[in-house]
Amino acid sequence: MSKLRVLAASLLLVACMSAGAWASGELNAYSIMPEKYASQVFEAFTAETGIKVNFMRFSSGEALARVIAEKNNPQVDVILGGPADTYEAGIEEDVFEPYRPAGADAIPAKFRSKDDYWTGIGIIPLVFLTNADFLKEKGLEPPTSWNDLLDPAYKDGLQMADTRTSGTATERIYSLVKIMGEDEAFEYQKKLHQNIQMYTKSGAGGAMPIATGQCASGIFYIVDALDIQQQGYPVVLSYPVEGVSYGIEGSGILKGAKNMENARKYMDWVSSKSFAQFIVDRKINYIPTRDDVEVTNPALDLSKVKLIEVDVAWKGEKRKEYVDRWINEVIK
Amino acid sequence: MNQRSAVSAFKRDPALLSALAAIWLSLAVFVLYPVVRLFLVTFVVEGRLSFDNIGALLGNWYDRQAFFNSLGLAAAVSVSGTALGYMYAFAVTRLPVPSWLKWFLGAVTTLPLISPPFTSSIALTLSLGPKGILLRLFGVQSFNFYGFWGTWMSETLTYFPVSFMTLAAVLAAVDPNLEDAGLSLGASPGRVFRTVTFPLSIPGIANSLLLLFAASLADFATPLVLAGHSFPVLPTQAYLLITGLYDLRGGASLSFLLLLPALAVYILQRAWIGKKSYVTVSGKAGGRSQFKSKGRLAEGAILGGCLALTLFILYLYSIILWGAMVKVWGVDNTLTSENFRYVFTHGRNAIADTLYIAAVVTPIGGLLAVLIGYIAQRRRFFGNRVMEFLSLLNYALPGTVVGIAYIIAFNEKPLLLTGTMTILVAAYMFRYNAAGIRAVIASLHQIDSSIEEASASLGASAGRTFFRVTTPLVIPAVIMGMRYLFIHCMTAISATIFLVSVRWNLLTTRILECMTELQFAQACAFSVVLIMIVFGATALMAGLTRLAARRISGEGGRG
Repeated sequence: MSKLRVLAASLLLVACMSAGAWASGELNAYSIMPEKYASQVFEAFTAETGIKVNFMRFSSGEALARVIAEKNNPQVDVILGGPADTYEAGIEEDVFEPYRPAGADAIPAKFRSKDDYWTGIGIIPLVFLTNADFLKEKGLEPPTSWNDLLDPAYKDGLQMADTRTSGTATERIYSLVKIMGEDEAFEYQKKLHQNIQMYTKSGAGGAMPIATGQCASGIFYIVDALDIQQQGYPVVLSYPVEGVSYGIEGSGILKGAKNMENARKYMDWVSSKSFAQFIVDRKINYIPTRDDVEVTNPALDLSKVKLIEVDVAWKGEKRKEYVDRWINEVIK
Repeated sequence: MNQRSAVSAFKRDPALLSALAAIWLSLAVFVLYPVVRLFLVTFVVEGRLSFDNIGALLGNWYDRQAFFNSLGLAAAVSVSGTALGYMYAFAVTRLPVPSWLKWFLGAVTTLPLISPPFTSSIALTLSLGPKGILLRLFGVQSFNFYGFWGTWMSETLTYFPVSFMTLAAVLAAVDPNLEDAGLSLGASPGRVFRTVTFPLSIPGIANSLLLLFAASLADFATPLVLAGHSFPVLPTQAYLLITGLYDLRGGASLSFLLLLPALAVYILQRAWIGKKSYVTVSGKAGGRSQFKSKGRLAEGAILGGCLALTLFILYLYSIILWGAMVKVWGVDNTLTSENFRYVFTHGRNAIADTLYIAAVVTPIGGLLAVLIGYIAQRRRFFGNRVMEFLSLLNYALPGTVVGIAYIIAFNEKPLLLTGTMTILVAAYMFRYNAAGIRAVIASLHQIDSSIEEASASLGASAGRTFFRVTTPLVIPAVIMGMRYLFIHCMTAISATIFLVSVRWNLLTTRILECMTELQFAQACAFSVVLIMIVFGATALMAGLTRLAARRISGEGGRG
């Protein structure tokens, strides 16, 4: 009998435990930037300001789903990284707090939200990533045109991201639409689909299979492609002559942030010159949005790459339409 | 026991009433309430009830295809997984194999269960995917791994140990005297199996089919990695809608479609095993005899099958171990301890948090399983069916949906739980206790209630009878359930990926992070550490199960 009571009491106890108070002098963050980069960024931030950072890493979709669900009781103060169109989608859901960081003037307006909901901290163009052994075996040159990927030699050899989950994949569609026009872009993708082995859920998901030779080639953000190359795998990076669009990595403060003062300090810091210099020095493969920092990695030298300008608001507007069209026309 | 005697039982035992109240309260708060909140978000559009969301789904060819794919996959996995599980359970409980071999078979089969599903998916892809090691070895040119086949293989490998654990507990409780009786009356071993052993294991088989069907129906991690675009399934579709298109309503509506088949299977299972008597522990039997030979050929085939599958599993996991120990998999095969150093520095907090949560959930979950199983099977209270159904509901729902429902439900006062450990503990306890509850119910099916009635007629209270008679008899089933619960605390991801917070992080989330960030070696190292931890803990609990089973057959049989 008494054992049953103890049991009932302990069940209730578990049911009633609740959140402890948040300590001060802290910053809580979700990072869409990969963990190995985010840990360095936040370490440097703590070293500079003495503010302790708790963070977790999520893909852009997961992070956004979380902050929307947590809207009434935000668990974090800021988001680090992630494509600008994710932030635009978040603005629709009213989850961001506008703030214009101290260093904003040195960042071109096209890399910032027009109402200061987010600030761009780096840009990442798309790039082709191809297995070097595959090229040698087939006697091919690295692809230098979007049409090169339609070559039957790549049959069942392409892995790239699924548009439903990945910002990398929607970026691919934006590039194609800007290069070819809307209908032609989807015609092209239908042809490309013949060579697809698998659409991966995350933008970087296909890079490892390419590295290990499980498949031949794919289209990625440069940050993921360079990363796999730096790990020592036999891969080649190349750009199409028709050009590529690029993603803007943003950062922003959540509405109702519990450490608002620290969140603002953080935004000032990621917009500063010392931060831009920091990511260059640490070989974190984003190209700084500030133009007063020199990029040293030759792989990030984009002077020979044709970059296509795409308006972020347009991306946010078109995203759902293009994803629906992709499902119904390309993969059907 | 009818309604009136239930009332008198309450008068005699107020403890029973408070236990019942505690269970109903916790089920209401942690199962019913989140689902209702999610239901409201899904079906209430601008203050009015609306089925527009569901209608839109049924008109969409891709979602319709996902619905039928989910059913087909779940059926295939539940049948193949149960068949493999039965083969193993039969070998371990009925064949004269040396005890070290039993231990070995049992230990290896837990490997797929104690590692997050996406870990074995990687090993399977490297073996059977495009240009896979095994395909090259056997010269197979075209094998479409992505889609149904890969997902089916991976899920069967992941879930058949659940079936093995369920069926081994049931088969171990079937008294071999009954089989001996059949044999000594001149029946062939095959006929005894068909007419005695197999029918007696039907509650376990039904149980296993239900668990596996539900598990496959709700699994999102495996199809996420392996199904690709050509084989959409509902949980993955729901996840993609929620995280990819920020469409919470659409994702929630899709998962409500999942509830229909889950409900259907549950009702089918009740109708199938609810009517027959499977009492084998009656307190009236004599001592146990030795197991008799089942015929050389059949024994050889069963053992051969078990060994082949065991070797295949070992092979898959050696790939993961190798990946954790070398610098760059397949390129630079230099041995290094760098990956493990990473795990114990960057992953230290996640390891500590995960262990702490598992240590809290497991014992409480075990007690809860006994209570719910006992009340549902032995006491005929009003609403028992509803209680049993509720206790299994979170298990049938896709994890992503449970996660989202929890965030919606527990993000405001008075139940402000997001970001705490409690929300993780509750999610695990009410989502993964299904195996434990079903096991308790299945083993209570086999225990004649006259044993408890004897205790009651000798004047013992319901509480005393429960703790002194019923509990010891179901302990193997409870510990089995606790093992399963512990394993899930360590490996589950679908629900908790939404519930982890900057303060409470989990090992599985870290592994998935490493995978999506291409830190393959670190992902392998994390998996190896996780598997070591779970292996140690489950070996301990398996030892306890054996000890308890021995006590029952020793004392219960002769007592």
